[in-house]
Amino acid sequence: MTVQTSARESYRPPYQVTNSAETILRFPFPFPEDSYMYSMNVEPHIRSGPVAAMHNTFDIDEHYVAECAEKARILQEDPKRCIVQPHMRAAEWDFVELAMSSLSDQYPQHFSLRREGQDWHWVNRLLGYEQSFVFGDATTLPLPPFEYMARQMQGDFTLHDQREDDLWMDGGMVTAQADWSLKFDLGMSFRQWHAPVPKAAEMGVFDRGLRFLLMLQHEKPVRRLNWTMTINPRLDTSPENFMVWGPDRASVTPDNVADKVHLRVELQTLYRLPRSNAILFSIRCYLMPLRDIMRVPKWRRRLHRVLRDLDPTLSSYKGLDLYRQTVVDFLAPYDDGAPLSSGIQPEVVQLEKALAPAA
Amino acid sequence: MVERSGYLAVIASVEVLTPTLRKFVLAAQGVRFPAVSAGSHVVLGFGSAARRYKNAYSVVSATPDGRELSVIVRRAPQSRGGSAFLHDQAQDGTPVTVLSSANLFPVSKTAKRHLLLSAGVGITPFLAHARTLEAEGADYTLHHFCRPEEKPAFVTLLADLPPGRVFIHDRPPEDAGMKHHMAEEGIATHLYFCGPEGFMGWVEQAAAQLGFVAAKVHSEHFFVPEGGKPFTVVLASSGQRIAVAGDETLLEALENAGVDAPCMCRGGACGACALEVMDGVPEHRDHVLTEQEKTEGRTILTCVSRARTDTLTLNL
Ligand code: HEM
Ligand code: FES
Repeated sequence: MTVQTSARESYRPPYQVTNSAETILRFPFPFPEDSYMYSMNVEPHIRSGPVAAMHNTFDIDEHYVAECAEKARILQEDPKRCIVQPHMRAAEWDFVELAMSSLSDQYPQHFSLRREGQDWHWVNRLLGYEQSFVFGDATTLPLPPFEYMARQMQGDFTLHDQREDDLWMDGGMVTAQADWSLKFDLGMSFRQWHAPVPKAAEMGVFDRGLRFLLMLQHEKPVRRLNWTMTINPRLDTSPENFMVWGPDRASVTPDNVADKVHLRVELQTLYRLPRSNAILFSIRCYLMPLRDIMRVPKWRRRLHRVLRDLDPTLSSYKGLDLYRQTVVDFLAPYDDGAPLSSGIQPEVVQLEKALAPAA
Repeated sequence: MVERSGYLAVIASVEVLTPTLRKFVLAAQGVRFPAVSAGSHVVLGFGSAARRYKNAYSVVSATPDGRELSVIVRRAPQSRGGSAFLHDQAQDGTPVTVLSSANLFPVSKTAKRHLLLSAGVGITPFLAHARTLEAEGADYTLHHFCRPEEKPAFVTLLADLPPGRVFIHDRPPEDAGMKHHMAEEGIATHLYFCGPEGFMGWVEQAAAQLGFVAAKVHSEHFFVPEGGKPFTVVLASSGQRIAVAGDETLLEALENAGVDAPCMCRGGACGACALEVMDGVPEHRDHVLTEQEKTEGRTILTCVSRARTDTLTLNL
């Protein structure tokens, strides 16, 4: 994956984000079937899978520099997007070790790590950072360890203590969330932070999910895909800023739908951390406009079917009601009803021609 | 069987603690051991060409650079061979693979005070916990129970901890007035205990009588799976038949046949290895299933449980 080394893109008005053909084809399209309902969709996070976004522990793509810059800007405006409770200190170092060792191992052209006992030397060539520090000694880093490293990664991260047969959201850095808030969820249990979700609890998804995670083992990470939709390529759709992005949902018209409406996919990966016995939850967000999804015939047809038949409770929970019909009407002429292969793989190696831009 | 993954190590030293307890220091070979949290166990793979073992042992200490970790192994009286192998045949240089690690017995990071009770080899998780709690400046007390002739060994083992925190008793907890000590604990105290079954039962009962709430009571049943009658397991999906010998577990028999069976603690404590029983009657030996689940007999924990019938059909 080619990574741009300067941030020309903007995740705020005036929006300016473009996806290369490679980025479109590696997108983790979230629908393996023509219809969607919540399920226990958890699988081992091994270094392979139907799309390239799944092939690394933490996925780095062409938006890396721009996303890190946007994250820094959000943290400057609202430092409480990063909170870690004091009993999660060991988990902070676990995170530093996991992130630095996997990034330097899997992207040696961009990152390197030298370890001599507890003396570590970290280089991030994409952001131009170089840091010597003593592993385990927070005074040797310019920022608290979790914050130092989470700022150098795409996506959001939460840290979970495990006690009383439950997981507790006791830390995190959350700047690109789909309408939930770390400040609000901090200190909550697995069932508490999931309380707003409809249907899934009655279906037993959360009971099974929690039981599974309590037994998650070190070096056996798991992943799942979650999705919603976002108007404009906006990473920060937080409740705190609802007044900024909420009204955009009423702005979708047949003319602007292809550019404005984005499928927002979270590649969520979960890791048992060895020193702390905590769990790391990583939420890697991908924003793909309809215009780009249109270039993969399987994906545009399937997206049409899923949105057309989506359970109204899920549609309203995800906040799609104001524009879902506009999207379905737009996609309908491009779906001939032909059967589609199951799975999320695009089934093409080359994209179709782009639609003519809206006049 | 060839171990496909894991961390290669050798035994760097063996220390005889008591006639039945030995401490083994493992040194990583060309790799770094993963970090482990206090209370973790590691699954070790070792043995001879003729017989491989995979046993879980609590980690009593690990160096922060990942070069060494130590376990204490009790020679089980009815050993299936794993602990007997380590006691009788292992020596400096004997290869051992660290196959996985997990923590089923952590301390509560938000608790105000910790009361740790152990007996015999049940001390092993608490060696790691007490040192971590001490380093963090946490409030804790450890009471250890052992036989009089073993007391000097435990005194030596615990010598680096402050005397005000650690009490070693050469009498059973009832005679040592443990119930009285427990009664003096405040409502915020979390209780942890680990030891032989009789000791576990005593603490469980005392804690219940004294009104400790379940959420603040934590225990680890260390359990060495024993052998039993041989039987045959049938895999429903393929019809494959696998013989389970008297001196191996069902889980080991599945693994030796190349089946990718789930597992974690290998000691009947975590529930990760549960499989659905479609035919036959299991003989339950775990600490996970409820009495009702055991009676229903629809689920088996393959790491410790066996079969009452000659064959057992699993949904696998
Ligand atoms: C530590 C792990 C996890 C964390 C931190 C987490 C966090 C969250 C959060 C913050 C939300 C948004 C809730 C809101 O509206 O305020 C959410 C939604 C949800 N979560 Fe989780 N989750 C975790 C694991 C899981 C697992 C294992 C499953 C299922 C197997 C799951 C299924 C769901 C579903 C179905 C939703 C609704 C999503 C939607 O429709 O957009 N979660 N989760
Ligand atoms: S592996 Fe833990 S109960 Fe069997």
